[in-house]
Amino acid sequence: MTAAFHPQRWPLAVRAPLTVALLMIGIAAAMSKVVLDRLARDQAQSFRQLTGAYLDGLSTALHSPVIRQEPWEAFDVLDRARHKYSGVNPRIVLVILPNDTVLAALDPATYPVGLSAPEKAREDRGEPDLAGPDGRVWVHRTLREGGKQIGRIAAEIDISNIQQVRRETFWTLLGVNGALTFLFAGLGWLVVHRTLRPLLRLSTYLARAGDGRLEPIPERKLPPPDTEAGKAYRRYNAAALAISEREALLHRLADQERRALIGRYASAIAHEVNNPLGGLFNAVRMIQRHGDDPERRDRAATLLERGLTGIRNIVRASLVVWRGDSEDRNLTSADIDDLRFLIESEAHRRDLALVWSNALGDDARVPAQAFRQLALNLALNACAASPPGTRVVFDVRSDVAAVFLSVSDEGPGLPDEARASLLASGGRDERSTTGLGLWIVSRILEENSATIDIHGPPGTAITIRIPHAEPGLQRAA
Amino acid sequence: MRSAKARPKHASRRHILAGGLATVALAIPNLARAARPVLFGLTPVFLDSDIQLIADLERYLSRHIGRPVQLVKRRTYQEITSLLVANQLDAAWICGFPFVQNREQLRLVAVPLYRQAPLYRAYIVTRAGREGDSIAALRGDIHAFSDPDSNSGFLATRSLLAGLRESPSTFFARTFFTFGHRNVIRAVASGLAHSGSVDGYVWDVMREIEPALVAGTRIRHVSDPMGFPPIAAARGVDPALRTAIRDALIGMPNDANGRTILGMLRLDGFVAGDPSLFDSIAEHWKRAQEFG
Repeated sequence: MTAAFHPQRWPLAVRAPLTVALLMIGIAAAMSKVVLDRLARDQAQSFRQLTGAYLDGLSTALHSPVIRQEPWEAFDVLDRARHKYSGVNPRIVLVILPNDTVLAALDPATYPVGLSAPEKAREDRGEPDLAGPDGRVWVHRTLREGGKQIGRIAAEIDISNIQQVRRETFWTLLGVNGALTFLFAGLGWLVVHRTLRPLLRLSTYLARAGDGRLEPIPERKLPPPDTEAGKAYRRYNAAALAISEREALLHRLADQERRALIGRYASAIAHEVNNPLGGLFNAVRMIQRHGDDPERRDRAATLLERGLTGIRNIVRASLVVWRGDSEDRNLTSADIDDLRFLIESEAHRRDLALVWSNALGDDARVPAQAFRQLALNLALNACAASPPGTRVVFDVRSDVAAVFLSVSDEGPGLPDEARASLLASGGRDERSTTGLGLWIVSRILEENSATIDIHGPPGTAITIRIPHAEPGLQRAA
Repeated sequence: MRSAKARPKHASRRHILAGGLATVALAIPNLARAARPVLFGLTPVFLDSDIQLIADLERYLSRHIGRPVQLVKRRTYQEITSLLVANQLDAAWICGFPFVQNREQLRLVAVPLYRQAPLYRAYIVTRAGREGDSIAALRGDIHAFSDPDSNSGFLATRSLLAGLRESPSTFFARTFFTFGHRNVIRAVASGLAHSGSVDGYVWDVMREIEPALVAGTRIRHVSDPMGFPPIAAARGVDPALRTAIRDALIGMPNDANGRTILGMLRLDGFVAGDPSLFDSIAEHWKRAQEFG
């Protein structure tokens, strides 16, 4: 039996009535056997009594004719007894002499006087088998006088009426028990179906929850509150409400986090812009004061160019990160390089050594926006967790199946709670109450069917594998 | 198995008992005898179980004789004949053969009229559907006789076989007595016997009364006419009583109850008759005795 067809996988609404039906069949079979056995015993006893009375009557009346070997008188006895024993239905009755010849028969034309008695009539085989296939049995009675056998009566009795009663009883039992089995199985199905209906409805709502739609059950569909189903429905509604509120809260917090992140980067950008501004102003003043000196003017121009180039790079990177790509384009190597300015700036600010490696191929099919958010979050977290003077390694690679992002630092290691938040599918683990950045990472991982490996301490090494989308398809960013 | 010639042992005992009772009866004074009912014997012909007929006949005879009449039935002809010969019965309806056998001890009272004649015939019957007409073809049969003292049910066939220089024991494979003409018909119809000797009058009447039973047989041989089984009186019976019985029987067609009885018996009436009616039976007896 395959797993799909295993009875444990059958619906309860099928299993319960089937169990009732099987139980009923078992009970019916046992009861039928008891009834039929009892009927067989009663019939055998009744048959013994009836044939015993019949043979007693015959043997008494036949005693004298058999002693005198009078065929007429013996026949007269058999003929007159023909209709006097209504419960016995003899087909052949023979009065047999000790030499196994017929003295008289109920049907003398078939068994003439003086003929040898048939084989079955000669031998008394004991208790007759009332279930025999031919519907007839032989019964015997020995006639004695003074202890000596003077003859025998052998009668073949038609027991088809007995067997007919047995057959009718059997079919009646089968019919009644079959009808009762079907009736009880049907009632069982109805009762179970009615009993399980609230549970099945609850199961339907829970199944929708698996699709991300945790809807409360409408008030009008709620069973009375004092019933088990009513209590269960209300508990479900309470849980659905709590989960919906938590989801809403998380979304609000994520939004706040994003705003905070923007603020942090705005500050970082301001800082990066501010740094060259002093030099730029010096260069301007140098030109104002020593514009006549070509050497100084050139040096000031060089300073101006370098400072403006730095600002331009910062602005361009910010534009790339925060322009909020609405188009679902795939990640390119240039996107990774753009990130470098932001991360380098943060690493520099924190006095960290950034080891950068970008080996992304040209055919990556992962969403650029999502990957940039992911990489930026992890890299900035690594920078934040790293003590000054340590190293942060950023590495992007790709092969035919996926894009790999590795970010490692030499910090104290990822807290358990943050680790759990990253590893939990969809970031819905209730323990992930901190680090909404990681929660966003977790959401992106789930949306892109990505996997994550976390190693450390010492340090933290996170490796993310994002499989390429099917050609022609784009994942949601 | 008893042969056709044998007689039942219990019949012999009854014969002795009847003789003893006769001795006692002879010692009873005439007055006392006059007070007792008239005892009228019946042989087991076809009416052996007709209670209504017996009651009607008893009532009719009592009324016309002027004395109570008690009908006496026995299983065999011999029992009735013995009682009659021993004066234990005043009169009896017996067979022609016992009348011939005991002619000296009996007086003829009346003879029934069947089909306007005091005559009947003996039949040899076989099972319906059996082919052939000759008596010779019955050789080796199991044959049913009625009674050893019956003319039609035994003597007539013995005489017929004697004409073939045979006896029942040499001609038939096996014979038995059924002690009733109706029983002979039953034995043959059922197949117990291949053939049987039966009173022609009984067979004819039973064909009306029990056509289904008689249809199982067919007539193979019909004898010449013989004297119908007569009503005879013991020799010692008061002649006045004998006359009264005869008058009652002969007057039956003139009485409504009598006609009813005759209707049941399918008889036309009774006549005084003459003992010579039974001469042919005597001839059969003589011939049978010659060949055992």
